[in-house]
Amino acid sequence: MLKVKQVSKIYEGKIAYRALTDINLTIDEGEFVGIMGPSGSGKTTLLNMIATIDEPTTGEILINERNPHVLKKEALAQFRRRELGFVFQDFNLLHTLTVEENIVLPLTLDGKKVKEMKDKAYEIAEKLGIIGIMKKRTYEISGGQAQRAAVARAMIHTPKLLLADEPTGNLDSKSSKDVMEMLESINKTEKTTMMLVTHDAQAASYCNRVIFIRDGKFYSEIHRGDNRQAFFQKIIDTLSLLGGDAHDLSSVRV
Amino acid sequence: MTFRQFAFNNVIRNKRLYAAYFLSSLFTVMVFFTFSIFANHPALSGDGMNSTVTKGMNAAAGIIYVFSFFFVLYSMSSFLQSRKKEFGLLMIQGMSMKQIRLMVFLENMLIGLLATLSGILLGVVFAKAILLLAENVLIIERALSFYFPVKAILITFISFIILFFFISLFVTYVLRSKKLIELIKGNKMSKGEPKANLFLTMLAILLLGAGYAVALIAKGLVVVVAMVPVIIVVCIGTYLLFTQLSVYIIRRLKKNERVFWFKTNMLLFSDLAFRMKDNARTFFMVAMVSTVAFSAIGSLFGFQTVLTSNIKNVNATTFSYKTSEENEVKNVEFINQTLKEEKIEADSENTVLRYFEVGGDSILIASQSDFNGFAALIDEDPIDLKDGQVMTVEFEGTNFGQTKELLNETITLNSGTVLKPKEVIHSKALPATDSYFIVSDEDYQKLPEPEFQESYYAWQATDGEERVMAASEKLYKELPRYEITSVDYEIYEIMKGYGPILFVGLFIGIVFFVSAGSFLYFRLYMDLDEDKQKFRSISKMGLTEKELKKVLNRQTMVLFFAPILVALIHGAVALTALSNLFYFNLFKESVAVLSVFLAIQVVYFFIVRFFYTKQIKASI
Repeated sequence: MLKVKQVSKIYEGKIAYRALTDINLTIDEGEFVGIMGPSGSGKTTLLNMIATIDEPTTGEILINERNPHVLKKEALAQFRRRELGFVFQDFNLLHTLTVEENIVLPLTLDGKKVKEMKDKAYEIAEKLGIIGIMKKRTYEISGGQAQRAAVARAMIHTPKLLLADEPTGNLDSKSSKDVMEMLESINKTEKTTMMLVTHDAQAASYCNRVIFIRDGKFYSEIHRGDNRQAFFQKIIDTLSLLGGDAHDLSSVRV
Repeated sequence: MTFRQFAFNNVIRNKRLYAAYFLSSLFTVMVFFTFSIFANHPALSGDGMNSTVTKGMNAAAGIIYVFSFFFVLYSMSSFLQSRKKEFGLLMIQGMSMKQIRLMVFLENMLIGLLATLSGILLGVVFAKAILLLAENVLIIERALSFYFPVKAILITFISFIILFFFISLFVTYVLRSKKLIELIKGNKMSKGEPKANLFLTMLAILLLGAGYAVALIAKGLVVVVAMVPVIIVVCIGTYLLFTQLSVYIIRRLKKNERVFWFKTNMLLFSDLAFRMKDNARTFFMVAMVSTVAFSAIGSLFGFQTVLTSNIKNVNATTFSYKTSEENEVKNVEFINQTLKEEKIEADSENTVLRYFEVGGDSILIASQSDFNGFAALIDEDPIDLKDGQVMTVEFEGTNFGQTKELLNETITLNSGTVLKPKEVIHSKALPATDSYFIVSDEDYQKLPEPEFQESYYAWQATDGEERVMAASEKLYKELPRYEITSVDYEIYEIMKGYGPILFVGLFIGIVFFVSAGSFLYFRLYMDLDEDKQKFRSISKMGLTEKELKKVLNRQTMVLFFAPILVALIHGAVALTALSNLFYFNLFKESVAVLSVFLAIQVVYFFIVRFFYTKQIKASI
């Protein structure tokens, strides 16, 4: 469903900087893939290019056999709104809106009927366990609740591909676990394809497959077996081989 | 780095942040300075002008000064509002509230000094332009030449250093010690939507309705009596309109999900509601300040029209000469001679106006042929009377006549026949603002002895109109003032006296209007960072450029036109009241003044929207 072919990214400027070199990546329908790597390895650059926020310098990216980067600006915005879902580290909820309004925002922009939006919002809120806070404002809810609301917003239009950028970065361990379990269950029940960029080995261990990049190049790839604990251990091992900074290793070992 | 250096560097290295505040201070200084260049001009303050004009200029300078104070204070406090986070950061680093106050004081003094100096400098650069403009608006015999305005520089410098000193002192006390956490979290939390109280909402409608009704119904001197109460009532009504009625409407809209959840409406209304408290205050201020500007300029123009059109109405012909004294022949000869010298061709007409005792008053009675002669001069239709018929003529324009009383009177001829007036016509042919009678030529001969009589001559220029002024000057020099009348010269005389008032009024009105625009600009730019962040996150989710533009367009439109619309309505009502005061229709003038302001506002809106949209788009 997602094909990344020979993608490189060079940031022009006084000193040109090569962020990514010849990345190849394929994600199948319904897969849950994690991208890991030390700070500055190019994880977020890769995610931004898949999210169509940024453009690759060379190579191409195909989502469902289509290259969104050739689309015009307007069409691109529509594409993002309808085909992709985003979850951010800092939630990106609008504080002038209630939780419910935040969730339906992508649909209202498309001019859907109120009844339809309400039904969808409550259906998804039910699944994510945030029915109780639908009328609250964003500053009245906890980080975990905010991230779940953000997931609900990303999921409401049933996107083909859900992109998450450090979704647990701002959360405590309990909330991180809740959010990751939720993403995993959405992936299983809804068959939504997901891509996750993270520092957190704990979070990455919920994926089917983790890809490691380092200095903008593909480093290695590991698959999850049946056991998540064992997978977590494998991730930790790879990270230590990768020689990332100390803080890339989660201090808590489960 | 000493503390003083820190405060200094904070300003110098942070130019962009301080730019808006600096520019508005500079603008105020410049306005005051250009005004004092004008007010202290030797041509105006010398012996040519009387002391009332000087007094008026000083009063106007005072108004501008007081207004500047509040304007700078407002700019300063809104500027400080946007720096909450910075203060929070400094306090975390261990700066005490006292030190922050000192820092703000020093910063403000520095900006004040820079603004004063550069305002004066710019003012000197533009001085010639302002003087040229003044020369054109005013009717002054001498040209306003450029001079080096030492006095104006001194006055401006000292006044504004004092002003900035007091504002700096004042502002440091406005900076209340808030909780650190509130400062750091900044504007994440809404200041709260003001509660819409149904009673107060109704009161807003009631007050505005009552104020408008009184202002529109009142006629004549009642307008003056009603003015102050109406202004107070409308003022309160406007405040409630923005704090209550608008909140009420937005809440209703938000509750209606079919509207609120439709496309980009959600983004627009949620923001409006979120910023309602700040908006309401700004809207109220902008509406009131603009109303003052509209009404001031509108009334000045209206008043000018009233004055000049009265003269034009009373004297329909280019020149007229009226006398009951002896040197009539000589003077008329002189007038004709002067017209010839100046190569003015004119049709002329003359008669003897006779006044008769009718019902205890002296009333003019004219013959049909005399009337028709003068009517032909100004292209009015002639009348045709049969013997025994009497026509009552009411002056066309502002009428002081007693037409109704005259209709009840009768004229007794020598033969004993009694004539009764029936018809009424309107005319400007004869120079009488009182109503009068016309009888047929036949009957005119049979009238009794008049109470008194005077000769009346009128000239209507048909060629060489551009030399009328020169001729008038000669005539006015030679002939007694109460005998000769030249419309153009009379108007010129009035405009000469009225010019300074008009100029000062225009100046103050424009200052008010421009600063109303700055209030809006500040309001908009205080939310810029928040808007940038908001649109950045939405555009990641997918917001097309068209939608972005639509939201920004509407948001700016509400900000720019909601208060101005209210001000325009206020202004229209005020000008209607004014025309009721003078019994004079000022509709054309009102429409002209108000639409000029609206047009300026529209242009301003497009400019600001362009830059705002550009900034938001750049940050995405």
